[in-house]
Amino acid sequence: MTDNADFSTSAPLPIRLGFVPLTDCAPLVAARKLGLDRAHGLDFQLQRQPSWAAVRDKLIAGQLDAAQALYGLVYGMQLGLSGPQCDMAILMTLNQNGQGISLAPPLAEQWRAGVGLAAIARRLGRPLVLAHTFPTGTHAMWLYYWLAAQGVHPFRDVKCVVIPPPQMSQAMQAGMLDGFCAGQPWHAVAERDGVAVPVADSSSIWLDHPEKVLTCRRDMARQRPLLAQRLIQVLLLACRWLDRLENRAQAAAWLAEDDYLAMPAALILRHWPNRAPQSGDLRFCDEGRVNFPYRSDGLWFLQQYRRWGMWQGEPGAEWVDPLNQTELYRAAAGLCGLPLPDSADRDGVLMDDMTGPTMFAAPHNAGANRGADALLQCINRRS
Amino acid sequence: MSPSSKLRLLLVNDTARPMQQLHDALTRAGYHVIAQAQGAAELLQLVEAQKPDVIIIDTESPSRDTLEQLAAMGQAAPHPVVMFAEQGGLPAIQAAVSAGVTAYVVDRIAAERLAPIIDMARVKFEEDAKLKKRLADMEQQLADRKLIERAKGLLMQRRQLSEAEAYALLRSQAMQSGLRLAELSRQLIDASKLLG
Repeated sequence: MTDNADFSTSAPLPIRLGFVPLTDCAPLVAARKLGLDRAHGLDFQLQRQPSWAAVRDKLIAGQLDAAQALYGLVYGMQLGLSGPQCDMAILMTLNQNGQGISLAPPLAEQWRAGVGLAAIARRLGRPLVLAHTFPTGTHAMWLYYWLAAQGVHPFRDVKCVVIPPPQMSQAMQAGMLDGFCAGQPWHAVAERDGVAVPVADSSSIWLDHPEKVLTCRRDMARQRPLLAQRLIQVLLLACRWLDRLENRAQAAAWLAEDDYLAMPAALILRHWPNRAPQSGDLRFCDEGRVNFPYRSDGLWFLQQYRRWGMWQGEPGAEWVDPLNQTELYRAAAGLCGLPLPDSADRDGVLMDDMTGPTMFAAPHNAGANRGADALLQCINRRS
Repeated sequence: MSPSSKLRLLLVNDTARPMQQLHDALTRAGYHVIAQAQGAAELLQLVEAQKPDVIIIDTESPSRDTLEQLAAMGQAAPHPVVMFAEQGGLPAIQAAVSAGVTAYVVDRIAAERLAPIIDMARVKFEEDAKLKKRLADMEQQLADRKLIERAKGLLMQRRQLSEAEAYALLRSQAMQSGLRLAELSRQLIDASKLLG
């Protein structure tokens, strides 16, 4: 079957799309609710997933055609770091920012009073117990980076565990956790329950970091490029719609429905700043600047895996370029009238000016930064 | 392999899967089920305190990522059984995957010791799925019958037909239009609401 045959009939083509109940699954929900999928010959079947492991396994087993995924989940699959190896494709970035770190109220109070994190941990007299959401995921990397930049080693000084975000508040309440890094609205939930206080936005760790991506298996992107391109198109339009402040209330109302987040819209809006999204805010499009699959974003994750001893390879473009479906993205963005960036790399601002990576480099990783030199230069290059 | 060299099993019971039935079946078969975890936090505590050899968890459990992190971080921690045909090749495990069984095991466990455990979980999950399907089918049949009765009543009233005639008319219409009898009845009821 050729790719074109997918669209040879008038009936929209069913596409099974996995998502995890988080505020930033909004592009998938909005695309469906606005009918953007059917307007482009697709019939989105949104399938809520209970875990990132389930998203991974179903993509590999062909039970999902594509999915919203943590940026780092895709690299974990590509490198075989967490579960079986599978060649993957990143079709586009779905959003930037919008994640955070919360601490138990007594710790948050100290932190806000200016006590350093390392001192807080020492006063505790036992290792901090902090949760994230998936071993290779974004929240793990934001948390590790945040800790390391403050002189706290994420493995030696902290016990890092995974708790499913809907159970974070309960685990905080039970005294199992000292804090967590996750997406929204789970900070809002823990805050409402009085068991945690947000202390850092993820954008304070890496300003305008990539967060969730649209991913599928590489063979699907290769064999069905037209389908992949239409998927990108539909989600680009949804992302652009989401960035308009006047659509915010509608987006939250849809997310609140039982099929998606199943929680009050007011909670979903609690940490979604009521203004047109700016740099640092949760944003979905910014005229396509959010969505382009940047090479430098992928390199950053490779460098972190290397830094934390999860991967022994040399970070380089040869790992990143096969994942990023840049040509498909260009075609889709063109059809949506969205401009393209001048470069596949972008500048980034990290909380420690990138002095961190060498700080905890293990001896066998002494050369870790050699391969990442290009990345360092690119990220440090500030006008 | 005799179960006398006891493997220590942990079941994660946080979905609708019949873990209690599985627990009972495993116990009867001589396995040592050390505990059942009701959520991710308890799972973490139990894995640390009890060091199980095998963890059986529903593929759809929200606690799976908790185990993924343990597997990624520790050599001695339970790792997922490689679950795809091209890498595993153990038919029992493939059948388990389609039944929704996922197993995390410590490395040293041989496949022949693991297979009967996973098989037992698969059988329990499949029995439960069949039972649920049978119940759902029965509910569906009941709902269908109600719809057909209402549609029949409408026809009898509007077209002055006997019950047998109304039913015959419905059936022939359903066959001609290729619809299920219940679906046609639903359409008829909806349409009659429009007509008032």
